[in-house]
Amino acid sequence: MLKIKELKCSIGDKEILRGINLDVKPGEVHAIMGRNGSGKSTLANVITGKETAQITNGSIIYNNEDLNEKTPEERSLRGIFLSFQYPVAIPGVNITYFLKEAVNAKRRYLGKDELDAATFLRQIKEKLKLVDLDSSFIKRAINDGFSGGEKKRNEILQLLMLEPNLAILDETDSGLDIDALNTIAHGITTAKSPERSFIIITHYPRLLNYVKPDKVHILLKGRIVKSGGPELAQILEEKGYGWV
Amino acid sequence: MSLSHFQTEFDKMINREYSSPEVNPLRKDAFLKLLDIGFPTQKWEDWRFTNLSYLKNKSFRISDSQDVPPSVLDVSPYEIDDIDTIIIYNGHYQENLSSVPEGVQLISGIEYFEKQNGKIEFKEHTPFDLLNTAFMDISMCIIVEPNMIVETPVRILFISDGESSIMVNPRVYLDMKESTKLTFIEHHVGDAFSFFQNESIFLSLGPNSIVDHIRIQSNSSGTFNMANLQVNQGTDSHYSFFQFAVGGQLGRTNIHCELEGKGSECDLNGLALLTSAKHLDDNIRVNHIAPNCRSNQSFKSILKDESSGVFNSRTIVQEGAQKSDAKQSNKNLLLSKKAVMNSNPQLEINSDDVKCAHASATGELDEKAIFYLRSRGLDIESSKKMIVRGFALELLEKIKDKNILDYLMNSLQSWLKL
Repeated sequence: MLKIKELKCSIGDKEILRGINLDVKPGEVHAIMGRNGSGKSTLANVITGKETAQITNGSIIYNNEDLNEKTPEERSLRGIFLSFQYPVAIPGVNITYFLKEAVNAKRRYLGKDELDAATFLRQIKEKLKLVDLDSSFIKRAINDGFSGGEKKRNEILQLLMLEPNLAILDETDSGLDIDALNTIAHGITTAKSPERSFIIITHYPRLLNYVKPDKVHILLKGRIVKSGGPELAQILEEKGYGWV
Repeated sequence: MSLSHFQTEFDKMINREYSSPEVNPLRKDAFLKLLDIGFPTQKWEDWRFTNLSYLKNKSFRISDSQDVPPSVLDVSPYEIDDIDTIIIYNGHYQENLSSVPEGVQLISGIEYFEKQNGKIEFKEHTPFDLLNTAFMDISMCIIVEPNMIVETPVRILFISDGESSIMVNPRVYLDMKESTKLTFIEHHVGDAFSFFQNESIFLSLGPNSIVDHIRIQSNSSGTFNMANLQVNQGTDSHYSFFQFAVGGQLGRTNIHCELEGKGSECDLNGLALLTSAKHLDDNIRVNHIAPNCRSNQSFKSILKDESSGVFNSRTIVQEGAQKSDAKQSNKNLLLSKKAVMNSNPQLEINSDDVKCAHASATGELDEKAIFYLRSRGLDIESSKKMIVRGFALELLEKIKDKNILDYLMNSLQSWLKL
């Protein structure tokens, strides 16, 4: 599904990613762990098409297409989703209005009929339950005045509605209490399927206890220095990054 | 600025057969004062950012009997559900097309003037107040008697139309007696090729009265809109104002709000959607005279192309106006490199136990927000429009009447497509 080859990328003069190789197959869950500043979020951003980072070498192939020339919206319509580490507030734009537009943009791309208001509302209400939010939530403006937990739930709600093929979760578990983490993990588990792949970027193995990864990669100074199974996360928890 | 052209029109005005001669002394007095001080130039502190050469370069004539509407006047494009409308066409009152709801009294300005035994204070702050007094053509008064809660909103629909350069000077009094409630809409429309409207609106809010005032400026791009609003508020009265400005070429709205009665509140809001070379100048004075009053101002402008805007607001807390609560907020979105906004919120505080705050922010669209929406599959244009729409909606949603809100939402939607 996703093949990253020898990817190098810079922000300004600074090289952030220094030759990344990654192969994510359908249905797989990959965890990427690493210290602050190791390049985890930059990797998430270049996959989704944020233009702040410049690719200087290598390629990102998604379903046999080179993503390099694709806009963020083209990538999204093809099934790539990013759960943001710091979701931005957009005052005045309520979630219902925004998500209906987004869901219908995707349906148009897939050649499906747009959802009418009633069907859309029925669907979103089902998904709201999965992330433990009530229906008043979707009348609020995107992330405007949201608590940390609400922001992350909102990201997972969007994931559930947009049904991506590849979901990248950038520190979705950071700053959450145990209950919120449970809810988020439940949302992710619900979304798991043999066709849907996940890249979970995290500092802690806690989320990985709920959502078991097939592979764990350790990112250090822009390179993947170690890859292994779920046991790698456990070793990291016990020994810290110094061990790497 | 030369006023010789206005002199010719003024002579026509006072010699006109159907105008009321009893107000001529008032007119003459005002016109003499106007000749004395002249029209503002950009050297005047309050007019620094507004160039009035538009007014100088055009010869406007007073509206005449020939400027009446066609036999069938189509007002369907301006339809808003469940409201009563008073129609004024090029300064001519269309009585047969107008209606007011029960509980609202509509009389002519002259009648009102007589009723008050000529004791009306005009509060002439600018040369345009004087111009209105000198040239007032259509004048009317809306009276709401004590304890009357009027459910149906009242709208004055000002239509400006035609090929020639006309000047109208409407004057409206809104006299809200004690414990009354009304939603009042002034709606400015029409396709005039060239038009100058200089309106004066006097709102008097009796104790415990509530007024929702909505001003929709959506007339042609050949129109110069000058609005002079004077609001006097009694004890515990509540005045809310919302200006939705999308039309006109050059616009200036002067709002003078006097919080005279203890516990009175005013909430002033404005949303300007500007394109091409349009210019809108909002000039606000809120005067906290009595104690325990609250004032809030939220003004937003969205500027495209080479448009420009001004937010010049001064809130004054007088000595003795203790426990005043005053807020000013001005937020602007520049959608073009050539658009300009001048924002100048000021507080003048002469009392010690008060709560005052002001904020002003002018910026471009948030790149992070655009990326967020694009990452959800929306194309770049739709993403930008969604953010702009949200910016407007945040304020627009303060309008309580659903039909009016729907109408303005549609206007906003069409503007976004421009």
